[in-house]
Amino acid sequence: MVHMARNMRVPPNSASLAEAKKRTLEFFRMCCRSIPEIMEIYNLYDVVSPSQLRSAVAAEVRKNSNVTDPNVIDMLLFKGMEELKNCVDHSKQRHHLVGKYVVGNQGLVQDLGHKDQGSSNFLRNFYSSNYF
Amino acid sequence: MGLGLLASRALRSSRIIRNSTRTIVSTPELKNADAAAAAAAADAPSDLPKRNPVGGARVHIPNPDDVIEVFVDGYPVKIPKGMTVLQACEVAGVDIPRFCYHSRLSIAGNCRMCLVEVEKSPKSVASCAMPALPDFVLSSNSGLVLLVLVENQLKYSHCISAEKAVYMHQTHDLQGPRMKIKTDTPIAKKAREGVMEFLLMNHPLDCPICDQGGECDLQDQSMAFGSDRGRFTEMKRSVVDKNLGPLVKTVMTRCIQCTRCVRFASEVAGVEDLGMLGRGSGEEIGTYVEKLMTSELSGNVIDICPVGALTSKPFAFKARNWELKGTESIDVTDAVGSNIRIDSRGPEVMRVVPRLNEGCPSFRADLKLDLTSTLPDINEEWISDKTRFFYDGLKRQRLNDPMIRGADGRFQAVSWRDALAIVAEVMHQIKPEEIIGVAGKLSDAESMMALKDLLNKMGSNNIFCEGNGMCPNADLRSGYIMNTSISGLEKADTFLLVGTQPRVEAAMVNARIRKTVKATNAKVGYVGPAADFNYDHEHLGTDPQTLVEIAKGSHPFSSALKNAKNPVIIVGAGVFDRDDKDAVFAAVDTIAKNNNVVRPDWNGLNVLLLNAAQAAALDLGLVPESDKCIDSAKFVYLMGADDVNLDKLPDDAFVVYQGHHGDRGVYRANVILPASAFTEKEGIYENTEGCAQITLPAVPTVGDARDDWKIVRALSEVAGVGLPYDSLGAIRSRIKTVAPNLLEVDERQPATFSTSLRPEVSQKVSATPFTPAVENFYMTDAITRASKIMAQCSALLKK
Repeated sequence: MVHMARNMRVPPNSASLAEAKKRTLEFFRMCCRSIPEIMEIYNLYDVVSPSQLRSAVAAEVRKNSNVTDPNVIDMLLFKGMEELKNCVDHSKQRHHLVGKYVVGNQGLVQDLGHKDQGSSNFLRNFYSSNYF
Repeated sequence: MGLGLLASRALRSSRIIRNSTRTIVSTPELKNADAAAAAAAADAPSDLPKRNPVGGARVHIPNPDDVIEVFVDGYPVKIPKGMTVLQACEVAGVDIPRFCYHSRLSIAGNCRMCLVEVEKSPKSVASCAMPALPDFVLSSNSGLVLLVLVENQLKYSHCISAEKAVYMHQTHDLQGPRMKIKTDTPIAKKAREGVMEFLLMNHPLDCPICDQGGECDLQDQSMAFGSDRGRFTEMKRSVVDKNLGPLVKTVMTRCIQCTRCVRFASEVAGVEDLGMLGRGSGEEIGTYVEKLMTSELSGNVIDICPVGALTSKPFAFKARNWELKGTESIDVTDAVGSNIRIDSRGPEVMRVVPRLNEGCPSFRADLKLDLTSTLPDINEEWISDKTRFFYDGLKRQRLNDPMIRGADGRFQAVSWRDALAIVAEVMHQIKPEEIIGVAGKLSDAESMMALKDLLNKMGSNNIFCEGNGMCPNADLRSGYIMNTSISGLEKADTFLLVGTQPRVEAAMVNARIRKTVKATNAKVGYVGPAADFNYDHEHLGTDPQTLVEIAKGSHPFSSALKNAKNPVIIVGAGVFDRDDKDAVFAAVDTIAKNNNVVRPDWNGLNVLLLNAAQAAALDLGLVPESDKCIDSAKFVYLMGADDVNLDKLPDDAFVVYQGHHGDRGVYRANVILPASAFTEKEGIYENTEGCAQITLPAVPTVGDARDDWKIVRALSEVAGVGLPYDSLGAIRSRIKTVAPNLLEVDERQPATFSTSLRPEVSQKVSATPFTPAVENFYMTDAITRASKIMAQCSALLKK
C-alpha cells in the first residue's frame, strides 16, 4: 500500500468520461486504503474515526460531481493524488489535517453564536476586529 | 522632484556629441561655451508647446499696470512687478536649482546655484536675488548707462543726459528690450556644474551613513547638474559638531553655508542663536558660545537644511526615507491643527514632518500670489517641536486590552464582550442624571457625537469637553473661534492678547503674530501673567481690571487700539475656567465695540483655543446641564479625558476610561476600554479658526483597541439603546444635522453672527490675575506625557 502511494505518477489522459470515472473510483479506493495509515502517523484517533475521514474524502470528491470534461477530471485527480501523497508522506502536520478534514472548512475556531444571538452585524464585527 | 525637467534636459544634451579627448568638464559642448551659445541662438525655437507653472501656481495681478513681460527660454511670461528672475522662471514652468533660496525666508544669494544667463548681461546672474525687470539695463563701455524702455519708448534715463540717451537708443539695436532669461544654455549649465564642484569640494562623501540620504538637495542636484568627477585632491576640511539640544543633530562638516538655518532662526523663530562665524574656508555655522537652540520651532531647521548638516536626533539612523509611507494628516497636540505628514514604516510611526505643498513655487506672501493648493493656510510649512517630536509617545504606555479593576484594585484583561456587558449593566443601575460623560482633548467629532447621543438616549445631558469649562457658551460660534483666521492675522496692525501666551498655547499662531509684528511693526499689548515673547510687546497688566480700564478708554493702550486700522483681540481659552469669564468676555466685547474691532470687512475678535477637540465639542453642543454635575455623579464616562478634575467625584462612582494611553484618567478608572490614537483612525477635528480637517490612519491600531466611535456604538447596543449609525458615513450624516460646518473639510467656515448678540451680564470682573493655561509647552496631553523626547525637552526647559 505504502509503496503504491509512493510510486504514484501522472497517468496518460483519459480517453473518455467512462475511463475518467473509473480512475476517480480507483483514486477514492486508494484514499480509503491509506486512511488507516494516516490515522496512525498523524495520531488522529482521539479526534476522528476512519469512517468520518472517509466521508470527508467522499464529500471532497462529490464537490466536483458536476464536472464532465475528462481533461478537467484528470486535472482534479492529479491534484487529489498530490494531496494524498502529501498526507501519506507526512509532508503535512497534524493541524493541517485536523483543520481541513476534521473540523471542516469553517476553520478551527468556531463561533457558536449563542452569545451574540440577536445582535447586529456591527456588534459581531466589532468583537472580531477593528477593521470592517 | 520638480527639477526633473531640467535634469532630463541636461542629461539628454550631454549625450549628443562625444569628443575623443576627455576633459574634466563632462559636457563637451561646455568647453567652448560661447560658440555653443551662438549655435543655439541660430536655431531659435519657432512654435513652443504650452508650459505650465511649477506646482500649478496661478498668478494674481491685482493692478494691471504692474504687469511686465519677460522671456524665459523664449517663452513669454507675464508677471507682476517685483518678482525675481527665479520666480519668473517658475511661472514659466522652469524649476531653477537652488540651495540658499527658500520662499519663506529672506534672500541671501550666496550659494550661486541658481545662476542663469540673461541676454545682454555681461555675466550670468543669481536668479534668486535678481529682480525681473520690465526692460533691461544696458551697460556700455563708458560706465553705467541706464535706459529704461517701456514699449520701445524711451521713458527714463539715468547717469547720462537725455540727448545722449536718445543717441544711445538710436545707435544701439534695442528692438524687443524685454528681459530674456535663459536657463538651459551652455553658460548656465557650466555655471551650475562649476558651483556644484565647489560645493562638493568640502562636502564629505558619507551619503551612505547620512540621514539626509535620499531626500538631500545636494545629492539630487549633483546627480542632475554636477560633473561626473572632481578635480580636488587635497584634504577636505572638517568642522566641529555643535550641540543644539535633544532635537537637532548636527554634522557640521556637511554644511554648505547656505545660511537657511540662520535666517530661519532670526526671522521666523525669533531667536538670535545661530550665526555665521569666520570667513572663507573657515566659515562655519554655530552658536558662538556653547548654547542650545531655545525655540519651540527649532525642529524646522531640519527640514530647511538642504544637506545632512542638521538632521533629526530622535530619527537618527532609524529609517531611510524611501522605506517610509507618508500619510497626510492633522496634528492634534494643540488647537491649531497643523497640516502634517506622518511617515510610518509598518506598524510604527517613524517621524512627523510638516505637509509641504509639493512643488509649490517659491512665492512670497507679499507678492499677492495665489497658490492653487486647496489646503488652508494654517501653518505655512513650519510645525512646532511638540508636533514634530511627540510621536514616540505613541509607542509607550498604550492600552491594548479591555480591562476591569478587580476587588484587589488590580486591572485584569477581559474580552470586549465582558467589558461592554459590565459597563452596560452598571449604566442601567444608575439614575440618568447621575451619568456624566467627558470628552478628552484629543477626541474627534464623530466620537463626541456618538457619546452625546448615547448619553442623551440614557436620559442624561451632562456631557462636556475638558478645557471648555463647566458652563461654556456654545450659542454663538463667533464667541469661541478665531474669527480673523490664522492667515488673516497678517493683516492686523494692533494686537491685544488677553490671558493668552500664544508662544506655548499655539506656537504656529505665535509665529504668525511674530511675522506680522516683524513685517508691519504691529503693536502688541498683553494682559496676563509675566510671559516669554519673541517679539516686542507691552505688558499692560496681569488681571482683568486692566481690561476694564482699556474698555473705559483710560488706559494708554486704548489710544493705540483706537488708531489701529485692523485691531485684533485674542482671548485665551484659559479664561473659560475662570469664575468671572462672562464679565471678562463682556469687557472684551466693550473694547471691541469701542474700537471698531468687528466691522463688516474685518472681524478682529478672537478666542484662541487650547485643544484639538474644543471647537468641534462646542459646535456639537457638548454643554453640561449643570456645572456641579461631577459632585453628584455616580457613573463617569471619560473618553480620553485625563485633565478633568475628579477630586470632587464621590468615591463610589463608577468610572469608565476609554482611551489610548495609560495616563491620569486610568488611575481612577474601574473599566478600561482601549481606543485608537489619532494616527490610527479617521476623524474630523476642527481647529481654533473653525476649519474642519480630517486625520487619516497611518498605522494599524495597537492590540485589541477599537476606534472611539465604534466603542460607543457597540456599548449602546449592548446597553439596549442602539445608536442608528453603523459606519463613518452614517455618523457623519448625523453630524450634518447638528453641525454641518464640520463636514466642510479643509475649508474654514466663518461664524455667522457676531458676539454683539450676547446678553448683558451683570457680573463684575474679579481682581484675580490671569493664570498661565499651559504649564509645560512640551507636555500637554496623554501622548506627549508618554513621550521620552518631550520629557527630555521639559527637563531642559526647567533648567
